[in-house]
Amino acid sequence: MIEFKDVSKTYPNGTKGLQHVNLEIEQGEFVAIIGLSGAGKSTLIRTINRMIDITDGQLLVDGTDVMTLKGKDLRRFRRKIGMIFQSFNLVSRASVIKNVLSSNVPDMPWYKVLFGVYSKEQKIHALEALDKVNILNKAYHRCDELSGGQMQRVALARTLAQNPSIILADEPVASLDPIMADIVMSDFAKINKEMNISILLNIHHVDLALKYATRVIGVRAGQIVYDGPASQVTQDVLDQVYNGKAVPKSTDIRTEAEAEA
Amino acid sequence: MTVMEQLQAEPKNLWKRIVLFLVLLAVVAWGSDSITYNGIAQQGSVVASGIIHGITHPNLELLFNLTDAGVPYLILQTIAIAILGTIFGAILAIPISFLASTNIVPKWIAYIFRSLILLIRTIPSMVWALVWIRVTGPGAFCGVVTQSVCSIGMISKMYITAIEDLDTGILESLDAAGCNTFEKIRVGILPQLSASFISTAIYRFDINLKDATTLGIVGAGGIGSPLVQSITYSRWSNVGSFLWALIILVLIIEYISTRIRNRLARGHR
Amino acid sequence: MPRAETKKVPLFDRVFKPEHIVLENGNSVDRPRSRMPLILICLIAVIIISLKMTGFDFNVIIRRAKELTVILGQIFRPNFGYFPNIVKPLIETVKMSIIGTIAGCAIGLPLSIFASSNINHNKPTMLVIRFILSVMRSVPTLIYASVLALVFGLGTFAGTLAITVFTVGIVAKMLYESIETIDMKPYEAMISFGASTLQAFWTACMPQILPTYIDDCLYCFELNIRASSILGYVGAGGLGVLIRERTGLRAYNDLGMVLLILFTVVLVIDLVNDHIRSKIM
Repeated sequence: MIEFKDVSKTYPNGTKGLQHVNLEIEQGEFVAIIGLSGAGKSTLIRTINRMIDITDGQLLVDGTDVMTLKGKDLRRFRRKIGMIFQSFNLVSRASVIKNVLSSNVPDMPWYKVLFGVYSKEQKIHALEALDKVNILNKAYHRCDELSGGQMQRVALARTLAQNPSIILADEPVASLDPIMADIVMSDFAKINKEMNISILLNIHHVDLALKYATRVIGVRAGQIVYDGPASQVTQDVLDQVYNGKAVPKSTDIRTEAEAEA
Repeated sequence: MTVMEQLQAEPKNLWKRIVLFLVLLAVVAWGSDSITYNGIAQQGSVVASGIIHGITHPNLELLFNLTDAGVPYLILQTIAIAILGTIFGAILAIPISFLASTNIVPKWIAYIFRSLILLIRTIPSMVWALVWIRVTGPGAFCGVVTQSVCSIGMISKMYITAIEDLDTGILESLDAAGCNTFEKIRVGILPQLSASFISTAIYRFDINLKDATTLGIVGAGGIGSPLVQSITYSRWSNVGSFLWALIILVLIIEYISTRIRNRLARGHR
Repeated sequence: MPRAETKKVPLFDRVFKPEHIVLENGNSVDRPRSRMPLILICLIAVIIISLKMTGFDFNVIIRRAKELTVILGQIFRPNFGYFPNIVKPLIETVKMSIIGTIAGCAIGLPLSIFASSNINHNKPTMLVIRFILSVMRSVPTLIYASVLALVFGLGTFAGTLAITVFTVGIVAKMLYESIETIDMKPYEAMISFGASTLQAFWTACMPQILPTYIDDCLYCFELNIRASSILGYVGAGGLGVLIRERTGLRAYNDLGMVLLILFTVVLVIDLVNDHIRSKIM
């Protein structure tokens, strides 16, 4: 469970990333966070594994106060939280399987890291993770030979290989074409259901968010302006989240359609 | 395809890595007798403490002595050697590198000039100095001549790369505009080359400045000869002042030249 | 762009006011004066002062050019019979450069990690390491060798040490410059799932810089072969001992043979290195 208790984040330059955020996210939820660029979506996601430090309030993950963690404890804590990035963040010169195996590195002795030697079990585990996202056949290709959608699935496999209980995804589909974006989102949904992993993701595509997520959180200027089930997101809610700005046409239609259904 | 099948299909490069590692190990083992430590020389500890004392207590009088034996004059002379050596070398390198570019002249001519450049590059600058010193006599003059010749090697090599990267499409468009050969060189080629040529020359200036010190050892002027003499005669406080001056000089020049080259690369005036 | 307007006008443009051109349609544009004349004047002045200071005299070169042709003539007629005497110092030179290069590159790698602003966020240590590296580079190898030869006695140990020190300075600089241009996103990902700085660097950044690193090491090896061949001049072993001895005796045919061998070795090493480069790139 992830609990935000009156959490605020003020950047050194005075920008307010988050203001008095209160949230409770149960294990196994699929949460989509929507909002304008710069509204604080990324900050919200990145405070959970402390890639960004909060400046006020308390943030508990499975009962651990994140801000009390340091050094080794922080790194051990991060082991159970996977993270997915907009630009995949893979080593493009290395092979697919090497990238997936890299998730084992924090638990390995230094000499194994130095020579990049992985055990047979680790290799099988990595291949199984690749199999789960249907990309097993590319295991020995170099990452820069893959398409964007394939790379994001490799990143997903890398995250799965660390057996996380939470996956954070920062704009996971923003660099993908609509069809690939849909496939990757369905991968997330499958993982969420089959493995009971909590998923929190930032997303600009409202239609995809409503299609796959169970819960939607709307962020505006660092504050939570909507928090509820995806089925109850109406045009009014979107107007509020996006500060009254028009939402793209296609989304309108879908939202209305789903609101009616 | 199953997971186990893929596991079997893993490309095996373990042997390649082991062989590579063993080769490296063998080379190190073969070369390691060059570092057999024979203990410190008889006077070694005295020298070591002397040099540390010298660096921490440089000869201040020498540092601010304005005659031609003082540090300021020697530093200026070293700079002068490097400047002239670089400028002459950079100018001499222009015709040579055009004659060694395969897109300007026939291949066989280019290869003749390339081997000339290789020859200049291979002979160590100190050997060039030893040769020239018979012509010019010892002193800064010898340093200038030596550096002029030595600079040609590296500068030409980099000029050639720039020349072979020339965008010849511009020449076609100038042809179409009815330009003659001189106009084509002035308008179409020079602007493309000048920035990289100047950048190369400044880079070489950096190297020449350090090299000028080395050349001083064989008597080619600059700060090198008094520095080495002080080392030989164990005048450690003098060594200290020369080293401080040298380090500061090189740091300043390196900083300035990097800034100028960055500006040139960005296409600033 | 409001920033551009508030930008300080360079001193030059305040002294030499830009030319104000008004087009026929009333639009105007400021053309800054060319800096070329000023640069040229300074350059000519510097050259004249330098010529005076170094006692440059072109006539001497013309007059005594014969000396040069005599020496070069002898150098280009190498004494092949001298070859047996060269073998041992040649091997010494090669060994010094190999060990010096390997040791220097091995020490330079960790230093370069701590000198990269994108990996080491502790600015003081970063600047201190960079400064030490610059100082290491600013002293010529030959000076190191002459001091070290006095401390450790004549021979290859001093030479190898001198080469190592210089290689550390140069390889670490080249490396941290390339480390700063790499893609940091995989590094960020590794940090996000709990890797330490060094683990993340080694797994996410090292594959990116490995080709450059090997290239830099080979480049240093080429430099070091040339550098170590003259170290013997100050008593640090290798071919330099012969160079000093043979020029002292004016035995330029023997010197020619030494240079021919050096030339061949450098050529072979360059070819081998080019082959390795084409494989890894």
